[in-house]
Amino acid sequence: MTIRLVTDSTADIPPDQAQADNITVVPLTVFFGDEAYLDGVDLDNASFYKKLQASKDLPRTSQPSPAAFQEAFKNLIDEGADAIISVHLSSKLSGTYQSACTARDTLPDTVKKIPIEIIDSKNISIAMSRSILRAAQEVKEGHGLTEVKAHILDELSRTRILAVLDTLEYVKRGGRIGGASAFLGNMLSIKPIISLKDGEVVPIERPRTRNRAYARVAELLSEMGPVEHVSVAESSEGFAEQLAQYVKTVYTGDLSFYKLGAVLGTHTGPGTAAIAAVIARQD
Amino acid sequence: MQEHTVHTSGVRPQRPRRISVFDGQDLKKAMLAGAASLEEHRETINALNVFPVPDGDTGSNLYATVQAAFRDVINCEDTSAGVISARLAHGALLGARGNSGVIFSQILRGLAQGLDKKQTFSALDLALALDEAQRMAYRAVIRPVEGTILTVVRETAEAAMASAKRGDDLVLMMQASIIAARQSVAHTPDLLPTLKQAGVVDAGGQGFCTILEGVWHYVRGESGQVTTVSSLGGSTKPAPDSAIKKGRVKIEEEFGYEVVFLLRGENLDVEGIRQNIIDMGGVSTVVAGDEKLLKVHTHTEWPGKILDYGVGIGSLLDINIENLQEQSLTYAAESEAEHLAGPIQSQTQQIATVAVVAGPGFERVFRSIGVTTIVPGGQTMNPSTEELLAAVNAVDARQVILLPNNSNVILSARQVSGLSHKDIFVVPTESMPQGIAALLAFNFEADFESNCESMTEATTHIQTAEITTAIRTVNIGGVRVREGDFIGLVNGDLVIAGQDIDYVIRETLQRMNIERYEIVTLYFGEGVTKQQAENTARSIKEKYSHLEIEVVDGGQPHYAYILSAE
Repeated sequence: MTIRLVTDSTADIPPDQAQADNITVVPLTVFFGDEAYLDGVDLDNASFYKKLQASKDLPRTSQPSPAAFQEAFKNLIDEGADAIISVHLSSKLSGTYQSACTARDTLPDTVKKIPIEIIDSKNISIAMSRSILRAAQEVKEGHGLTEVKAHILDELSRTRILAVLDTLEYVKRGGRIGGASAFLGNMLSIKPIISLKDGEVVPIERPRTRNRAYARVAELLSEMGPVEHVSVAESSEGFAEQLAQYVKTVYTGDLSFYKLGAVLGTHTGPGTAAIAAVIARQD
Repeated sequence: MQEHTVHTSGVRPQRPRRISVFDGQDLKKAMLAGAASLEEHRETINALNVFPVPDGDTGSNLYATVQAAFRDVINCEDTSAGVISARLAHGALLGARGNSGVIFSQILRGLAQGLDKKQTFSALDLALALDEAQRMAYRAVIRPVEGTILTVVRETAEAAMASAKRGDDLVLMMQASIIAARQSVAHTPDLLPTLKQAGVVDAGGQGFCTILEGVWHYVRGESGQVTTVSSLGGSTKPAPDSAIKKGRVKIEEEFGYEVVFLLRGENLDVEGIRQNIIDMGGVSTVVAGDEKLLKVHTHTEWPGKILDYGVGIGSLLDINIENLQEQSLTYAAESEAEHLAGPIQSQTQQIATVAVVAGPGFERVFRSIGVTTIVPGGQTMNPSTEELLAAVNAVDARQVILLPNNSNVILSARQVSGLSHKDIFVVPTESMPQGIAALLAFNFEADFESNCESMTEATTHIQTAEITTAIRTVNIGGVRVREGDFIGLVNGDLVIAGQDIDYVIRETLQRMNIERYEIVTLYFGEGVTKQQAENTARSIKEKYSHLEIEVVDGGQPHYAYILSAE
């Protein structure tokens, strides 16, 4: 059985890795003024943050159209897929998941002859990508659809993200601030720690300095219990390495490093660093 | 009371007096004399505070506490010593301000326990009650320190006991007590080195002794007829803007429960029933109706007794019992809540935060970081237990975290959990920046216990420094301070004094090892302009270029700068 995996550009999977693992990435769009860029195609991490600094227009994002998904699904079906699993960022943060569902539901019957499973990860970026990369391995090893889907859902439910931002301004302007609006209006400078809960942004803490924030992230990580894996991601300034130093004081397992793409960057701003931790199963 | 000649005014000639017992009214008058004595010497006692800072006000705090003690007593004609002492203790408990006020309220509480159910009391009764009082005082403090009011009340109680055991009457016992108290106060510098160095006796101990002097005058028959407790000269709290709102409610005389019911029976004797209820202690008793059905309305501390009686003579209907105290406290709390500046932010979680804050800028900062309610600290950061309680009761949540933000408020704050049915935790913050650090550590995803822990932990990461002007010439911790000097304090310790404020600021920063920290927040007080503050920030940045410096308008009274380093 040939299972094909699909996701969107907010997974922040490096293009060569996606290609090697046969993962189809449907890009969101980032607008600087009137100029539109496909996230991860026209604009990578480095060029996005350079543009962010240079541009007087602050960027906006938009989800892929159903048509883009339909094209992706059709191509995979033509290539001989027996099933498709499509994993996307939280439906509370973007209409991407909805767009994929609409695409599937409006495919003509002549085309849609295979099961297309669409998953709302309730997560984003590095908190989403690992489950997809693992699924890619399982698909290579020939696991069945039900099993692969179950494993994805299981790992997603055990994945927690913690991000340290320079400011909440970008999250606020992007409109996805959720519960973190409680942190707004602060008269003192802080480096907010936020997370996702049930797919929505939630405020965690408000340390005053970056070092204190990273130390707290490490403490919060240690309170999660046994952890299978930790990924670290950064916007552009090299803070991932700094954050990793703190993480290493409480976690000695594997660490993977990633860059936050343009969509993430639009909504979190420069100076961001985050970790995603996969909590070990309680068997 | 026996063998006591009634005097009306003036100073009486000395003649030997023997008093074997006092009753509640004597106790009341003696305490009034004590209060008058304290009022007279309030400023002198304030000036005894070791720290030459403008908000050291043991005398005023004690006086406010004593004044509060009289709330339910001033118009009370009850002759029972047990009743009067209990009311004194209750009023003091709520109105306590500052550490000395809280300790004094515990002294009154011990006294009330010792005099419980007694109509009159003898020298021995009083000595036993004083012993109870000194024990309660020690228990009120987490780390009792000798050379303070604790030592003085203990040594006074010891002398009183020795005297009573010798068979002395109340007059002789008071004499022995006052002598012991004076000696104990004079001895405090030998027990606390900071007192010796500063050349003062302990303010709290002196305050207690001053009250006792007033009592002693009454017992000797020397005091004039004191019938009122005069109001404070406004040095402790800013006047409430009660004009528009509910009006500050004084909790007065509402004690016990209001019991109302219908009584149905046969041949009911309306007059007889009314008299019986009065005999059982019912106050403001109204019994109306006829021999088959009547309505009873009374105020009593023992609703059960009245109901038992009713059940014994007929059947009860429409029974209604209201807790009068809760009613008046709730009303007062509501009016207090309205007086507390600004809107109470609604929070989505079940935990509320209450902070004591002085300074309009600081209030803005606390609100901006999401505090639920602010209790104004006033000029001297010493809200009463009652004001804290009102704020706690007024917030929506069942779990409340209290931030006293001053070491002199921590004890009052701790009293609150015994007075409220809510879960209350006091984070022992000793400064407003510590309070801010604690509040910023509030974790919306965490439960009450975790938050209490992390908020307390957060206060350990922050250093607070204060820059102010010395109100007295004094020697502290090896630092010679002249009145009018600028002084720098680090985490409450006076580290430097000088005539040039920039020099004092620089030295203060040096002594807090500022190189170790990343961010300094400089809160400038009333009397300092933004420009001045920014200049100060700039000169700090010049010397310590690695620091991030934030200048914030704190608007606090007395302290030119309050600064935090983290």
